[in-house]
Amino acid sequence: MTIDFIINQFTEIIGNFPVAAFLVACASVGGLLFVLMALNAMVAVYVERKVSAFMMDRLGPMGQGPGLHAGKWGILQTFADAIKLLIKEDTIPKSADQILFKVAPFIIFIGAIIGLSALPFSSSIQAVDLNVGVFYIIAAGSIGVIGIVMAGWASNNKWSLYGAMRSAAQIISYEIPAGLSIIVPIMMSGTMNLQNLIEYQSGSIFGIFPNWIMFQNPFAFLAFFIFFISAVAETNRTPFDIPEAESELVAGWMTEYSGFRWAVFFLSEYANMFVVSGLAVAGFMGGWLSPIPGFLNSPVLGLFWFFGKVSFLIFVMMWFRWTFPRLRVDQLMYVCWKVFIPIAMLNIFGVGIWKLIFG
Amino acid sequence: MSKYFTNIYDTVNTLWTGMRITFRHMMNIKKDNVTLQYPEERWPRPERDIGFELEDYNVIRTRLHVDIDDCIGCFRCEKACPVDCIKIDTIKAGRGEDIPEVAHTGETSNGTKKGFVVSRFTIDMSECCYCNLCTYPCPEECIFMVGGPHSSKHPIDYEFSEVDRNDLIYQFAKKLTPKQRNDLQQPKEKAKA
Repeated sequence: MTIDFIINQFTEIIGNFPVAAFLVACASVGGLLFVLMALNAMVAVYVERKVSAFMMDRLGPMGQGPGLHAGKWGILQTFADAIKLLIKEDTIPKSADQILFKVAPFIIFIGAIIGLSALPFSSSIQAVDLNVGVFYIIAAGSIGVIGIVMAGWASNNKWSLYGAMRSAAQIISYEIPAGLSIIVPIMMSGTMNLQNLIEYQSGSIFGIFPNWIMFQNPFAFLAFFIFFISAVAETNRTPFDIPEAESELVAGWMTEYSGFRWAVFFLSEYANMFVVSGLAVAGFMGGWLSPIPGFLNSPVLGLFWFFGKVSFLIFVMMWFRWTFPRLRVDQLMYVCWKVFIPIAMLNIFGVGIWKLIFG
Repeated sequence: MSKYFTNIYDTVNTLWTGMRITFRHMMNIKKDNVTLQYPEERWPRPERDIGFELEDYNVIRTRLHVDIDDCIGCFRCEKACPVDCIKIDTIKAGRGEDIPEVAHTGETSNGTKKGFVVSRFTIDMSECCYCNLCTYPCPEECIFMVGGPHSSKHPIDYEFSEVDRNDLIYQFAKKLTPKQRNDLQQPKEKAKA
């Protein structure tokens, strides 16, 4: 179910109009991805509120009492929030850079959605099956930082600018350990195509354990954790949320945004979480393969396994967020440059040796 | 160099400890939950004696209430009120006489014969200072703080917020239409004449 498939169908049924076929395919797939993005944000925001509440011994949104009804257990809370955000006044500061201020949310949004387009949701469902999928997603993830710096600069606000500079420093730093760690599965499977990468992980270890890359050797296991933690840092989430840092920077680079533009940032943050979790799942955790080898593997169930694993990783991100305090800037850089990068380098070396010895 | 690895080990170890704690709290939310879903659930009202004699005066001063059928219109509570939040109007009527048109009974539950129809009895609860001074002079004990020894007469209620300030002026007397008021005032003037 890739874009190529839709283009072929269009050509077969309607005729040979390459441009029209391309536009129709892109629009339909893009629409589906946007729906996925919105649903993901809605569910994730609700779950995040509930998880945070439960970890703090609260109940979270319950939506009880006259006039406060948001469904049983507050299920409609995110719908109410979305409606609130959409009807909010859209304010732009007078001294802001009008063009950049308006463009920034779209760039961040694009950075999130084009990453989503290369994720292998199932063996047959993938918007674009690229032969450099891993590289593409890593590259697409970096687009967001342009939007963040743009938003911070255009806001003409010291908090925004601080937030943007911190975000740039953080994202650029953490891309290095993330990139070095994702090299491990590429080295082991010998491909950057996400589908081939997942197929490489089929089979089992000793007949019981899933043959996921993270279980194949200790270096890959370590690489998974480095990649995942760097991914959390790249999505600017706690404990790496110094770009937002409520207690220091109001809301960081989002300070001056409100209403729909802010909603776009929010949507992109959750989409980014989905993308990095998806890449971690595809690269280390067997993608759409069942966790029990050879059990319930089919294209449709693959969808279930993929979303299940991604949801688990997103839950772990929430778990991180509501457990750990924020890192200081120097600690953040220490973790990246003095811990993650040396270990990631050693991982690459170790995996190389492992491949030489064990094939 | 060994410090470096000990630090990494300590970091991972302590982070994992913290994560275990938050996960345990998340799983035990049913037991650990501290939030009270207020309109549906309430904390139990404290039962405590603040007074001089336990039987008479363990009132938690929550809200004034008047049994208007027992009121004889003597104005003593109005005079006792230090903030003048009680306002009473009466119309003279035959002593001990039932007037069914305005649902007026001639006798109180203590057997005292009433000489007045209470046409207005308002308490402005936004002004009330909960001093309880109005309840002592009342000869019929018909004005009282809800709760305590009177909890059988009226449900305990200490949550009475309103949207409009005027809704805090409680009307206890029965509503009289202008015609009823007129009819009540006529016989008095007839008797005079």
